[in-house]
Amino acid sequence: MSSPSPKSPEQNDKNKKYDRQLRLWGDHGQKLLESSKVCLINATALGTEILKSLVLPGIGAFTIVDGEKVTEEDVGSNFFLDEFHIGTSRAQAATETLLELNPDVRGDYIDDFPDHVMSQTQDFFNHFNVVIATALPEKVLMPLSKQLWSANIPLLVCRSVGFLGYVRLQIREHTVIEAHPDNEAPDLQLDRPWPLLREHLEQTDVPNLGTKERSHVPALTILYYYLQQYRNENGGLLPKTYSDKEKLRNMIRDSLPNENDILEENYEQAVKLVNVCVNCTRVPNHIQKILDDEFCTNLTSESSPFWVICAALREMVQSEGALPVRGSLPDMAADTTSFISLQQLYMRQAQSQAESIYRRAMQISRALGQSPDSISETEVKLFCKHASELQVFRGNCVADEYQTSSPSASLHLEDPESLMFYYVILRGLESFISEYNTYPGQFDDHVEPDVLKLKTLIGKLLTDWGCPTLVISDDRVHEVCRYGGAELHSVSAMLAGCTAHEAIKLITHQYKPINNTFIYDAITSTSATFVL
Amino acid sequence: MIPSAVPSVLKDSVREVIPTAKILVVGAGGIGCEVLKNLALSGFADIEIIDLDTIDVSNLNRQFLFRKEHVGKSKANVAKESILSYNPDISIKAYHDSITSQEYGVNFFKRFNVVLNALDNRAARNHVNRMCLAADIPLIESGTAGYSGQVQFIKKGVTQCYECQPKPPQKSFPGCTIRNTPSEPVHCIVWAKHLFNQLFGEDDPDQDVSPDTADPEAAGDLTAMGNLLRTSTRQWAQQVDYNHVKLFNKFFHDDIDYLLLMENLWKTRKPPEPISWEMASACGTEKRKVLTDDVSSEMDVWPIYLCAEVFSTTIATLKKELSNKEFLIWDKDDKVGLNFVTACANIRAHIFSIAKKSRWDIKSIAGNIIPAIATTNAMIAGLVVLIAFRVLAGDYEECQSIYLRQKSVHSNIILAPDFFTEKANPNCYVCAEQPYVSAYVNVEDMTVKEFENEVLKKTLNMIAPDVILDGKGVFVISSEEGETEANNDKKLSQLGIVDGSILKADDFLQNYNLTIGINNYIAEKDKPLFKIDAKSEELKPSQQNGKENGSVDENASEENVMEVDDKTEAEHLEEYFDDNDPQEGTSTKKRKLNPPDDEDEDLIMLDDP
Repeated sequence: MSSPSPKSPEQNDKNKKYDRQLRLWGDHGQKLLESSKVCLINATALGTEILKSLVLPGIGAFTIVDGEKVTEEDVGSNFFLDEFHIGTSRAQAATETLLELNPDVRGDYIDDFPDHVMSQTQDFFNHFNVVIATALPEKVLMPLSKQLWSANIPLLVCRSVGFLGYVRLQIREHTVIEAHPDNEAPDLQLDRPWPLLREHLEQTDVPNLGTKERSHVPALTILYYYLQQYRNENGGLLPKTYSDKEKLRNMIRDSLPNENDILEENYEQAVKLVNVCVNCTRVPNHIQKILDDEFCTNLTSESSPFWVICAALREMVQSEGALPVRGSLPDMAADTTSFISLQQLYMRQAQSQAESIYRRAMQISRALGQSPDSISETEVKLFCKHASELQVFRGNCVADEYQTSSPSASLHLEDPESLMFYYVILRGLESFISEYNTYPGQFDDHVEPDVLKLKTLIGKLLTDWGCPTLVISDDRVHEVCRYGGAELHSVSAMLAGCTAHEAIKLITHQYKPINNTFIYDAITSTSATFVL
Repeated sequence: MIPSAVPSVLKDSVREVIPTAKILVVGAGGIGCEVLKNLALSGFADIEIIDLDTIDVSNLNRQFLFRKEHVGKSKANVAKESILSYNPDISIKAYHDSITSQEYGVNFFKRFNVVLNALDNRAARNHVNRMCLAADIPLIESGTAGYSGQVQFIKKGVTQCYECQPKPPQKSFPGCTIRNTPSEPVHCIVWAKHLFNQLFGEDDPDQDVSPDTADPEAAGDLTAMGNLLRTSTRQWAQQVDYNHVKLFNKFFHDDIDYLLLMENLWKTRKPPEPISWEMASACGTEKRKVLTDDVSSEMDVWPIYLCAEVFSTTIATLKKELSNKEFLIWDKDDKVGLNFVTACANIRAHIFSIAKKSRWDIKSIAGNIIPAIATTNAMIAGLVVLIAFRVLAGDYEECQSIYLRQKSVHSNIILAPDFFTEKANPNCYVCAEQPYVSAYVNVEDMTVKEFENEVLKKTLNMIAPDVILDGKGVFVISSEEGETEANNDKKLSQLGIVDGSILKADDFLQNYNLTIGINNYIAEKDKPLFKIDAKSEELKPSQQNGKENGSVDENASEENVMEVDDKTEAEHLEEYFDDNDPQEGTSTKKRKLNPPDDEDEDLIMLDDP
């Protein structure tokens, strides 16, 4: 190190600590994370590992609800519990050790069972951004799932048994502004330039440039000129097919004054831009669907900022026929001034569109009687910049899934390769726990009778769903009974990473969450997701 | 009796092995911490951990065995203590050392039942791969980058080795692009880091920042001007007492003026525009910004006058720091050095009409930062230990590589295991029965020392090679100091190494013998000076396509890829790459952007299955 840098405030330290993750979800994602409150029900190995992966990146606060006392088995499978904790509150022990991981996180605990907590303080769980439940019995899960569903708070239900893992996301509605698509074409809107842009682009007499000026013109200006020429020659149409585009590319290539010269860098760039940038600008289908959503067209005073901004966006799309311009340009070889003036044209257009959407959204919000600070300009700007990536997810309630007589699970059971049979086994396992208050195979001398009991329960489920009972082989039922409810730490660790990551997606409103059930088979190292 | 700590759900054959199994974990970073915890909670009782790194603040968001008070301490030692405080009954041995050091030879590796790699750089991965092949010990290799990760099992004679598939070359740039004709922000950033080293860092002649008169493209331009005799940049800077105006004018005005004289360069490029200190500090008269600690200094692109100002203040600070040291080392986390590079890169970008970048972006590019999060590491480390169970049971056929892809938008498949364990590549230049590689080098131009450093060490990852010219018995390179020093500055051809020569290279440390077929090859401009091709001799490209030794013409295809509309064409091109893309090497005229960030254990080149 050349020198210790002059250390200014904690902010600097915090930025350093979180540097590697800020590069994935940005400062605004981090802010949401730091103001979030997460509830964990049951500090099992799986539960504490999930919380560990949330405490490290710096959530605001967590609360553990757990009425159990620490046992010897807990210590054996849970890194955050020590021998001296045996017999003490599991919620307290886990909270204390987890807090050591990150001094910026607050944490507390309730040494009580979740059903008691619910019956004593009705809306206790409604104060969190995300609730995560591990090893929660069905009879508690049902009312909790209903309550959080109506409060529109995401619930993550997880279980780790032997080589088997399960995560279910219950999301009533979740909106994403930044989906981080893998690749994105530049948004130049050359087919429909706004007046200022057109004026600017038409200022340059592209075909009559001197040798020196030729190398100074931004690729965009070149491309626009030849695109106009192409359209003049082709009845105003844009090039669509490969050969159309090749024609346009050749027009650019043929512009060289002397045949033997090499095409300049900026002309080469114009040629390259043809494929991705010369397309008809239109509103993507999935965005149009969001704009036509009932939540967008029928706002109420309860509407979230997302939908209010959507409504403002919808009006603009209706009048302009396109989404607001993104406002950023790809790097181009050109002299600085002409590139900057082009860049500023795009930036200003994006800014002015975002401002008008902001003003309109504020009007709408006021008319709905919402508080004046419910919509922030920063959020609207972010929204406009990512207007082509918006996502809306609507899931269903776990309680409904458990009560339906024809679950979509049955659809997948016909496929022998599908991991869906694990779902059926897990549902059987849940019934077993409810019925007998123990895991199948938990006591060595009970394995065989437990196999029979579990088989009966699974058979009953399948009959209720109208499925043949033979789809679940005896071997598989045996295997699960062999686990005796024990958690395998590495399976829990893997599953916890996955669950914590889903929680971060939900908290930051970035990236698409899993929809809606994830099953992990550690024997074959495969996983699958199902919509249930 | 199997201790209760060993999970009861595992097969008995595994449970019996676990309590006495000896495990080596290489790397105590993001994956390493998680792996150690998983091992400790699975009943393993004999673990050794090696890592040469110390703990940095930026590790704390995921490397959960470390706390703020541990910053600066050995990762291996602190990790050991943290694990012991959970379970004092485990035997755990920590080495604060490099795994490539001589002490960890084949016999060291032979002591273990399985080796778990949790490394951050390819050189160390290659080395451990070779050691495990030599010792015939199973290796589990893993890595993460952002949301993605992978786990690969490697066993001699059973699977592919780490080097069976050529990895994409690490990004490097030709010297004349950096010195004469930058066209991307990254070129300016590399130049600015070189400038830092020239002024304050350790002397490296490969990092010259002045105009490169040897640029083949500029040939003929400067003959009339004669050769400029220059003292080294450092000496000159000291002579002018690091006067910021003089330095600024030289690097951003006079040198650019000089570049403009090489007219050939600017026939198809936009010529750069020199900028003097006076011009730079005068531009932008409106409200002036100053450098602060807030977000805008971090995320905004600095105006030129601010870059000039930062240039002058950082030079003053760095000069003072240099006064009591021999040289400074650039570090992305050192603010002064980062400010200097940000300012210089942006001034140069301005001169060459290249997009300027914020300090935040420049840190990421200059520091070669790979995003890293706790969740991905947790998932990968879980998989590593689960595969270790299978390896210990001898179920090698069930140890397929697993790929983790959380970001993928279209697919619901989060874990993608291979269907089979990949069989070894019979032409692999590392694990084949008789490893063979073709080297394309300029035998008239490359010295023995360059061949040793750039080809054998940096590209083929040997540590201590001995080389004999086959048939003639000439001793070319010896790992014993002083034995072949006289050869160092000789050109390869002077020792009789010519097109068609065969070299026998032997690395005693890695227990690795390699036959190298030499092909004379003259590189084109802006292309690497040499190449390595692992294909066997008979598959060597014929010499009929007009080019020296029929080097693969990646040139043409690379450009096509950019604009392929047609899907079939794209697939076709991919195949073309698979078959023909040889591993490109770095040479003295080419330089790496940065060695992989050693602080980050998580880097891996993710190859698609």
